[in-house]
Amino acid sequence: MNKRTILLVDDEPHVIRVLRLMLEREGYEVVSANDGAEALAKMDARRPDVMVSDIQMAGMDGRALCRTARERYPDEPFPILVMTSMTATGEREWVRELANVDFLEKPLSPRQLIARLAAHFAAAATQQEKTHAA
Amino acid sequence: MKNNRIGLILVGSMLAVIALVVTLLLQRQQAEHAEQVRVQGLGMVRSLAALPVSVLAPGKGAPSVLDSILAYRDNPDFAYAAVSLENGRNLAEVASAGALVPPAAPLALTGFAEREIAAGQNGRMIREFHGPVASADQKTQVRIGYFAPRTPLALKDLPFYALIALAMFLLVPLIYLVIKREMAPLAALGEQLRTAAACQAGAGQALVIAPGADQDADVRGLAHKLNRYLDQASARIRELEQESVASMASGRLLEYGSNKMQAVLQCLPDGLLVLDPAGEVTFATGKIEPLLGVPVTDVLSQPVEAWCRDPELRAMLARFRSAGLDTRSQMTIEFNPAGVPDKRLWATAQALLGHSMAYGTLVVLRDATREHLARQAGNDFVAHVAHELKSPLNVIGMYGEMLADAGVDDPAVRVEAINVIQDEVERMNSLVNNLLNVSKLEMGSMRPERHRVKLDDLLRDAWQQARSRAEGKGIRLELQVARDLAAVSVDKDLFRIAINNLLNNAIKYNQAGGSVVLAADEGDTDVVIAVRDSGIGMSVDDREHVTEKFFRVRETGDQQRGGHGLGLYLTNQIVELHHGRLTIDSELGHGSVFSIHLKKMPALVEGGQVL
Repeated sequence: MNKRTILLVDDEPHVIRVLRLMLEREGYEVVSANDGAEALAKMDARRPDVMVSDIQMAGMDGRALCRTARERYPDEPFPILVMTSMTATGEREWVRELANVDFLEKPLSPRQLIARLAAHFAAAATQQEKTHAA
Repeated sequence: MKNNRIGLILVGSMLAVIALVVTLLLQRQQAEHAEQVRVQGLGMVRSLAALPVSVLAPGKGAPSVLDSILAYRDNPDFAYAAVSLENGRNLAEVASAGALVPPAAPLALTGFAEREIAAGQNGRMIREFHGPVASADQKTQVRIGYFAPRTPLALKDLPFYALIALAMFLLVPLIYLVIKREMAPLAALGEQLRTAAACQAGAGQALVIAPGADQDADVRGLAHKLNRYLDQASARIRELEQESVASMASGRLLEYGSNKMQAVLQCLPDGLLVLDPAGEVTFATGKIEPLLGVPVTDVLSQPVEAWCRDPELRAMLARFRSAGLDTRSQMTIEFNPAGVPDKRLWATAQALLGHSMAYGTLVVLRDATREHLARQAGNDFVAHVAHELKSPLNVIGMYGEMLADAGVDDPAVRVEAINVIQDEVERMNSLVNNLLNVSKLEMGSMRPERHRVKLDDLLRDAWQQARSRAEGKGIRLELQVARDLAAVSVDKDLFRIAINNLLNNAIKYNQAGGSVVLAADEGDTDVVIAVRDSGIGMSVDDREHVTEKFFRVRETGDQQRGGHGLGLYLTNQIVELHHGRLTIDSELGHGSVFSIHLKKMPALVEGGQVL
């Protein structure tokens, strides 16, 4: 079985470094990008199973990245997790417009992220089994 | 009424005139009567004198002419007739009843004459006519006497007099009416004058017409009153003229005050609008044009709907118009005017109240663009700082979690984690320090305490502090300071911050094996402190913005350095505070040179204290 691919997008290299270390240990394949443009390029090569992105980034920011991703691949609504501070209440608005986008509270706990991913993939597996059974 | 007096005078004078006329008539009648009696008497005497004595006095028993005269007398006043001798004996005589023949007077030489015999016992005066008898030898005379009339006013003339009197008396009301009619306008004028005078007296004038004046008012009174009124009127006119001068002066003063007030209002930095209770603009200052984008001429005497394109402002004004007198509150809104979209305005509406009535609404428009931008900048700043603080916290938290995870057993990862945590703590520390310094700088509370400073020592200290950090990253840090460098006047503490920031950047944006040179040189007028690095350099675009607050050069490549965009901003501010100049020379991939140019300390004070 192929490894699940996670696309990490953040302009803070330390964040990518930690998450990469921890996610790889959990058996995920990690692809990383410094900003939106780079992420789209990586996405173009191969669609990830889940994308985890920061919002506030120089260059193309998280918002534009999410919108472009949804517009460019309308048939592949892979889950997107955006990392945001609770302080930025306005952030919630634009996220609702997009399908299958959820929040990750900052400061981010890598363990929490791993738990969320595990839950997601478990649910997806159950769904798949159900469709197979049908 | 004075007219009544006129009437009485008329009646009196008319009666006097009547009496006069009647007296004259009676005198005339008496004169006529006397003449008539005289003509008759003389005629009778002449005709008798022509007769012979025998006829006149025929002797005893024979009828005399005199008897027939008596018998056929045609005059009721006939008294007697006699023929007398010179000695006084009467040859013949006849007398009417009640009359005695008086003794004869001596015969006048001239012939026929008359005489008056005073009233006797019976009380009647007698006029006697006499003349000589022509045929007599002796001096014989004929005498005829008549009674003087008893009553001068004959009863038969009474209706005549009455008629005359009545006719004359009837003239009185006619004249009275005519006079009254002629006097009517004068009377009316007098009445008016009296009323006018009374009015003025009532208005506090000193002159008062006596209440009884109208009763004896006549033309003289009228003239008097008129004079008085004229005096009064001229006094009043003088008074009014004075008042007019005074009011003109006070009018000028008011106009001046009003002009001044207008000028003050027009010079206010805020735009003012005054609306009447119906919602029309009655006053507007010129400032509303740059604020609302609507010229004053389009606004004056126009309802709000005609000129206002801002729904927020219209809503507020509508609220003030519909609200009653009770609206003592004021209301402020903030909006972007439709006419000038890049502005931000505060509009404050306030009901104009006074003397328990509403004069309308005052609207004050204030340009709040700067405040708005400052507020936005403040919000941006807080958001930015929060982000800048959260990012290292986030990283520290994640590494901490990773270290706590029992699964991490690779010692290299542990060392890496600890290093990163240390770096991030350092980053936060430097951020907080710089923030405090920037805040002090921007609040103006950072006042450089400038002293003459020997740059050698200052630069050497900074170099020594930075050296360990540079060596940790494998970077060579050199110090090249010229000997006998001129002293400069700087705040030591601030300057240390500026140089440390430059050195930190030079080390941070460098690669292992690179070099950093801290140099100081002396030009003709300047002392130049330069920090040269062999680092990553930057593009021309970045160079222009690198001293802006929170600006961070976009980095490429794997190795990234956490910065917060305050270091160079702060350095630049400090250099400017010292009236110096920060120049940047850089080439992407080949390193940068940051130079601080400071004026040399003037020679005059060179002997001063050197710290």
